[in-house]
Amino acid sequence: MELKAIEHASTYIIQSQEEEIKRIALELHEGISQNLYSLYTGLEFLQSGINQPDLQGYAKEMSTLLSRTIQEVRLLSVELYPSTLKTLGIFAALKSYIKLFISTFGVIIHVESQGEERELTEHKSLAVFRTCQEALINIAKYADTSEATLSFTWEEKTLKIDIKDKGIGFDLQKAIETNSFKGIAAMKQRMFIVGGDVHLSSGKGKGTNISIVLPIQE
Amino acid sequence: MEYSENDVKDLFLKECEHLKQVIGCDFTGVALQHHKKLDVIWPYVCGNRNDKYKYITVRYGKGIAGKVISSGSPMEIENFPTNIIGKSTEYPIMLAEKIITAYAYPLVWNGIPKGALLIGYRQKYDFKDEDYQKLKQTASRVQGLLPVYFVEN
Repeated sequence: MELKAIEHASTYIIQSQEEEIKRIALELHEGISQNLYSLYTGLEFLQSGINQPDLQGYAKEMSTLLSRTIQEVRLLSVELYPSTLKTLGIFAALKSYIKLFISTFGVIIHVESQGEERELTEHKSLAVFRTCQEALINIAKYADTSEATLSFTWEEKTLKIDIKDKGIGFDLQKAIETNSFKGIAAMKQRMFIVGGDVHLSSGKGKGTNISIVLPIQE
Repeated sequence: MEYSENDVKDLFLKECEHLKQVIGCDFTGVALQHHKKLDVIWPYVCGNRNDKYKYITVRYGKGIAGKVISSGSPMEIENFPTNIIGKSTEYPIMLAEKIITAYAYPLVWNGIPKGALLIGYRQKYDFKDEDYQKLKQTASRVQGLLPVYFVEN
């Protein structure tokens, strides 16, 4: 298979996967969640008409379980596809994700932004979001550090994002040779699809720096 | 008897420290559910490598503590992240503390599981029957402290 064909295939796979994830997230949010909420309000109404204490207690338990399920479905939907990307933009969506990231992994991420934020297409926003997400998860899994920085630099024609940590780092050459680089390769491919690029530098004991560059078209 | 926040902390940490010593593990921790919420936090730990535990909040049913609380049954992880249920990122305390082998036991309050007592090793470890027994004994004492915690919080 030619290199170009392989690139087309991986582009197709990534895009199809994203479309499917978005479809499931919307279905959870707008279909299943709404139905569950209707059931919840119906159950609350029925509960008010029950006189037997045993049955009332049982209905309350069901209502609590349903409320928990609604919350779980909502969180799962947001985890799958951040709808704020489209409404509030990449910076707000990432800040919201980072809030969740800190409370999940206990790793503090300092967020900085320079320059005026520009509107990105949904494809570009999503590619940047997923790439940052992958980079942050790698920090939680491998960097062995309690802090990292994510900086946005909005330039006239380019958006640059630097994700730096002072963790344990890794031997870049060895990682390439042993093919333990799949996550980074996926990040590169995602950014390549939208005309951007990802650069990575790391060394044992020297932390890791990931730079994302994305051209912004007017 | 009224307890200050520090008194409550000392009582829990004393049990964590004692368990760590008698079992010889690397990490012990108590995870508890928020009084009125579903989220689970790690308020008391011993043998920690960093302060990440202070910020970690897991959803009910997620992570080792969340799973133990939602099921009400103990849970063992033999060689993290091999053969775990779900993704490794669903076990933040294991990632944060670099724990390889862990065992978590439910802590029950008013008949409902509200917490978990965890022991962890940073190398692969085969649990012995006496380890489980010692953990259960400590869990029973920690359960005795739960009314104090939930009244204070």
